[in-house]
Amino acid sequence: MHVKSERNDDWSSLLSEVGSNRDRAAFIRLFKHFAPLIKGYSLSKTPRDMGVENSDELVQEVMLKVWQKAPYFDSRKAAASTWIYTIARNCRIDLLRRGAKHQNTGLEADDVWQPDEDNEPYSLLQHSRDHDSIKSCFRQLPVEQSHILTKVYMEGKSHSEVASELDLPLGTVKSRVRLALKKLQVMLRG
Amino acid sequence: MMVKHHPNENLLAEYAAGSLPFGLSIGISAHLHFCSHCQHRLEQLNSLGGSLLEEGQSVPVDEGLLDKLMARIDNPIEMPASSASRFNLPGVVEKLVPDLKALRWRRLSPSLKVSRLNTGQDRYEVALHKISRGGKVAEHGHRGQEVTVVLKGSFSDDDGVYTPGDFLLREPGDIHRPRATQNQDCLCLSVVEAPVSLTGWFYRLLNPFLGFKPS
Repeated sequence: MHVKSERNDDWSSLLSEVGSNRDRAAFIRLFKHFAPLIKGYSLSKTPRDMGVENSDELVQEVMLKVWQKAPYFDSRKAAASTWIYTIARNCRIDLLRRGAKHQNTGLEADDVWQPDEDNEPYSLLQHSRDHDSIKSCFRQLPVEQSHILTKVYMEGKSHSEVASELDLPLGTVKSRVRLALKKLQVMLRG
Repeated sequence: MMVKHHPNENLLAEYAAGSLPFGLSIGISAHLHFCSHCQHRLEQLNSLGGSLLEEGQSVPVDEGLLDKLMARIDNPIEMPASSASRFNLPGVVEKLVPDLKALRWRRLSPSLKVSRLNTGQDRYEVALHKISRGGKVAEHGHRGQEVTVVLKGSFSDDDGVYTPGDFLLREPGDIHRPRATQNQDCLCLSVVEAPVSLTGWFYRLLNPFLGFKPS
C-alpha cells in the first residue's frame, strides 16, 4: 500500500547507509555532526548531575548504540535526528539512574521507553512534513512557551522542577506546555 | 478494541522528554503497548525532541573520542534478544514479571489481591492488582497521584467501564469504588505516589493499603 518515501535529509540517508552497509565513512560523518550536539544535550542537564567527563562518556555510549542499532533504523518512521534523540534520551536516563545508585533490577530505559518496532508508519506524508516544518514552527512559538519546552526536553526537567525554577505555579507550566504543543500541531496541520 | 482513556498531553510530553519519573513512565509504557493513537502522538513529541537536539548547543568533544569509539565498534554486539511476548502483556510488564503464574499475591480483601514489583526506584510504588470477577473494592480516596492501566479483563466505577489499555490518572482527593465485571478477573498495573487511604474511620483502622510503603 505504502509508497516507500525516502527522507530527503542527508543524515537519514547516511544513517541508512550505516545500517545496511555498515559504512564506516558514513558513520564518521554522522559522528562529526551529532557527537557535539549530543554533548550539548548532555551538558544541558545541570552539571551537578552530569559532569563533563560523563558527557563524553554519554556521547560514546550513544554513538556506539547508533552504530549497533543502525540496522533497525527505518527512515520511513523517523528522521535520523529523532531516532538519535531517543537513543540519547534513554542513555541519559540510564546514566542518571546509575548515578543515583538505584537498585539494579535489570530494568533499563530501553525497557520503559521502548522503540515500537512493530507498528506501521502513521501517515508517511504527514510524517515527513512534520519533521521538515517542526523546527520552523518551534521558532514561531512565544518565547515563554518555547523556553519551557526547551527546559523539559533538553534539561530533562519535570514540569514541577520547571515551575519551582521559574517561580511559576505548576498549573501555569502545564498550560504553557499544552498551549505550545497545541500550537505546534495547528501549525503543522495548517 | 479501542482504548478510550489516554494519558494527557503533559504526561506524554514529559515521557517523550525523559523527564517523567521512572515509575510513572512504566505506566505510560504499558499504555502505549495497547494504544496506536498514543504511539503516534509520541512520534510527534519525539520528533520535537529530535528538532531540539539539532537546534541545541554544539559542544566540541574530546579529540580522541572518535578513535576510542571506532576501536569499540567491532566488539561483538550484545543486543538483548527480543523475547517473544509470553502473556501478551506490555513489554515492560513482561520484563518485570518473568513468570506471571509464579507471582506471589497478597490478599487485601476478599476480592482484591496485590503483587508488588521491584522497579529499582522508591518514589512510586509499582504493583499488579487483581480484582476477582464480580468483586468490589472498598471505596477509597487517593493521597497522591495514582496511575492505573488495565491489562486484562475490565472493571468499572461510577464514571464508566475500563478495558485493556485504558489509562487512568487519579489525583489526590479523588474517591472511587472500582468493581470487576462479572465474567472475568481484572488485572491492572498500578503506579502509586503515596499510600492510598480508604475513606471512613473503620477502613482507616483496617486500611490494608497502609502496608504499601515504598521500599
